[in-house]
Formats: sequence, structure tokens, C-alpha cells
Amino acid sequence: MSQINAYRRKFMAAVGGVAVGGLASGVILRSVEASDVPAKPADQPVSNKVRWGMLIDINRLTDGGVAMVEACKREHGWGNDPKSRPEQQSQWMRTVKVTDKLTQHSFTLPVMCQHCEEPPCVDVCPTGASMKRADGIVQVNKHICIGCRYCMMACPYKARSFVHESLTDQRPHSPRGMGTVESCNLCVHRIDKGQLPACVEAAPNAVIFGDLNDPNSRISQAVKTLGGSQIRADLGLNTGVRYLGL
Amino acid sequence: MPLLSNIKSLLVLALFAIALVGCDAGVPEPNLAPAKAKAAQCVEPTADMRKNHMKYLLVHRDKTVIEGIRTTQHSLNECINCHVAPTREDGSAVHYTDEKKDHFCSSCHSYVGVKLDCFQCHADRPQVMENINYQHKLSSNTYHLSAKNAPPELSDLLLLGQSQQAQGVTQ
Repeated sequence: MSQINAYRRKFMAAVGGVAVGGLASGVILRSVEASDVPAKPADQPVSNKVRWGMLIDINRLTDGGVAMVEACKREHGWGNDPKSRPEQQSQWMRTVKVTDKLTQHSFTLPVMCQHCEEPPCVDVCPTGASMKRADGIVQVNKHICIGCRYCMMACPYKARSFVHESLTDQRPHSPRGMGTVESCNLCVHRIDKGQLPACVEAAPNAVIFGDLNDPNSRISQAVKTLGGSQIRADLGLNTGVRYLGL
Repeated sequence: MPLLSNIKSLLVLALFAIALVGCDAGVPEPNLAPAKAKAAQCVEPTADMRKNHMKYLLVHRDKTVIEGIRTTQHSLNECINCHVAPTREDGSAVHYTDEKKDHFCSSCHSYVGVKLDCFQCHADRPQVMENINYQHKLSSNTYHLSAKNAPPELSDLLLLGQSQQAQGVTQ
């Protein structure tokens, strides 16, 4: 009985938090702004003064993130590899439905690479292909990936996929090929040009993208006032992707 | 006996000569027309590119993936945008694996027998939009519309990264 009471107390606290988050976020979450990603000169390397992050307000994602997933598919051309079975298809980003067994309350959130500060996929990679860029973007350097898939096993978010077949006509800015692992790279090719990631553009009212290291950026302000929870925060990975309304 | 051995050796010589002639006929003709077409416009002198193009690409790829340096001079994408047409005159797609060997890279690589593995992952021709009215990229920021002049579709604009324009259409 006391267990149930404790659970109820925790749950009510969580609901309260969600309601407050929803109201307050309405004030701060506006549509995405191009100024969130300042353009970098093409010949300059990325710097560790920046750490890219994303804050997703689930209450404002009316479709649960389907539009974000579709935008990612279009941008990178995954999800429709002709010879792969459905369970073999790449999945850079997916929607996950969470239902509370007791109350049947459910919500849906988009899950992709969380761009950890301490990424387990980088720890286990035997070749150094799984890497974290200076600006905090976790990605696969496919030039040296041997396709062992250790990173897929290490990732607690199930964010990585393996390409099972030879492909043609990939997107020029997003090379994909048989025998390599791939995942969300926060649209590095767009960020380097000063553009927002494709999924952020697809959900302009629910997502803030920006530099977590800059205390004046919109995302830092939003995280400071509203919080923003990590999935599996218990792992201590310090993810770059945060959620409101979990 | 010496006569017989002479005849034998003559026969062997004759067979060898025939075999040589056969080999001569079997040497493939290199199709260098695509490679020569735009040599004068290249980012480095032709002789330099012949010898060192792979070095340039190898250095540039690590700079791009690891450091995020996206200059266009030694970018594989720009090589492809300039040297490869997305389709032939009959409308068929140009791929590096084609038997015709008229893809810019494979025209030479197949002749010298050096394996090409860039295109197992990278696109081997300029991007052709899902919208058939779109032709191909001319450089990293410019695109070529076909003569039909149909307005590009929203999904194509998103693909092209012209996000602001696309957002303008939706709002």
C-alpha cells in the first residue's frame, strides 16, 4: 500500500511538472530561428567552445514527432533500402510511445542519437570510427568503420543502424553504404553551413536548437528556466538532446 | 633429327606469335573522353590531378568528417557536380558500375585496373530530385532547373536545403 502511495505521490508530482512546463514553455518556445546556428566560415574547424543541443517539448509535438522523422528520412535518404526487410531498415530516428500501465496515460516522443557528452558508442569502437566532434556531435566516420556493430550494442538509446545492402544514388551530403553503421549526426552538413537540422525545421514550434555552452542562447535560457529531462539520466551520459513534458 | 627439332621450334614460335596477336586485339580501348572534357576547368593542373587526386581527397575527407571543414576546392561532391552528368542523352542514369564505362571516374579507373570504392557510400552522380522537373546541382549552392520551368515542389526545396524559402511557402 505504501508503495502505491509513494508511486501516486511521484506521479502527481510529475504531472504537475508537466503542466507547469507546458504553460511556461508557451512563453519561451517560439518558432526556430536561423540565428540559433551562427554560420561558420567553411575553412574553419569546429570548436569545443560550442556544444550543440536540442530541447524538444513533447506537449507541443502534436504528431508525436512523425514529421520530424519524415524530414530526417528525406534529408538523409534512409528507411527505404530496396532489398532490406523492414526490421533491417535503417532507423536514424523513431517515435516511441510510452504508456503508464496504471493510468493508461500515454505520450509519444521522438528518439534519436542523444549526442552524449560521454558516449558509450565511442568508448567501445575498436577503430575510432565512432567519434565525438569538438562541438559535441556524435557521429560515425564511415571511412574507418569496419561494421562490427559494437556501438549498436553499446548505445542505450538504440540509436544506431547497420546498412545491409549496397546502395546507389545516396544524398550527396549524406553518404551511406553497405557494411557501415550510421545514426543521427544532427545534420552536420547543415550545421556547418549555419542551417538548422532538418528535424528541427520540421517542428519549428516544439523544438529549440542551439549552443548549450552559450549562456545567452535561447536553448540555454530555456533549459535554465524550464529544465529539460534526459532519457536514462541515471546513466550519467549528459545528453545533448533534452525533453520537456516527459 | 635436327630438322625435326627445327620444325618443332618453328611451330612453337608461330604459335607464340599467334598468341601475341590475340593478346594485342584484347587490350581494351580506354574511354578518356569524359575525363578530358573538363580538364581545363579543374581546381588543380591536370598533371597534378592525375598523380595526386587521391591524396587531395584523402586529406580533405578527414578534415571534413572530423573537423567540419567544408571548403569546396578538394571536395568529392564538387568533382562529381562538375565532371558527371546525372543522366545520358537518352535519359538513363550514369553510374560508375555501368558496362559502358562512361562515368568520369570509372572511364580511367577501369582501364588501369584500380578499384574505386568511394561510391559504395558516396553518390556517384549529381543529385536528381524526386521532382523530375529538377535537374542537378551545379555547385554546392546553385541548382539547374530544366527547360520545363515548373516550380519546384516543397519537398524538393527542403531537400535542397533552401529551408527559408520552403518555410515561406508553408506559412
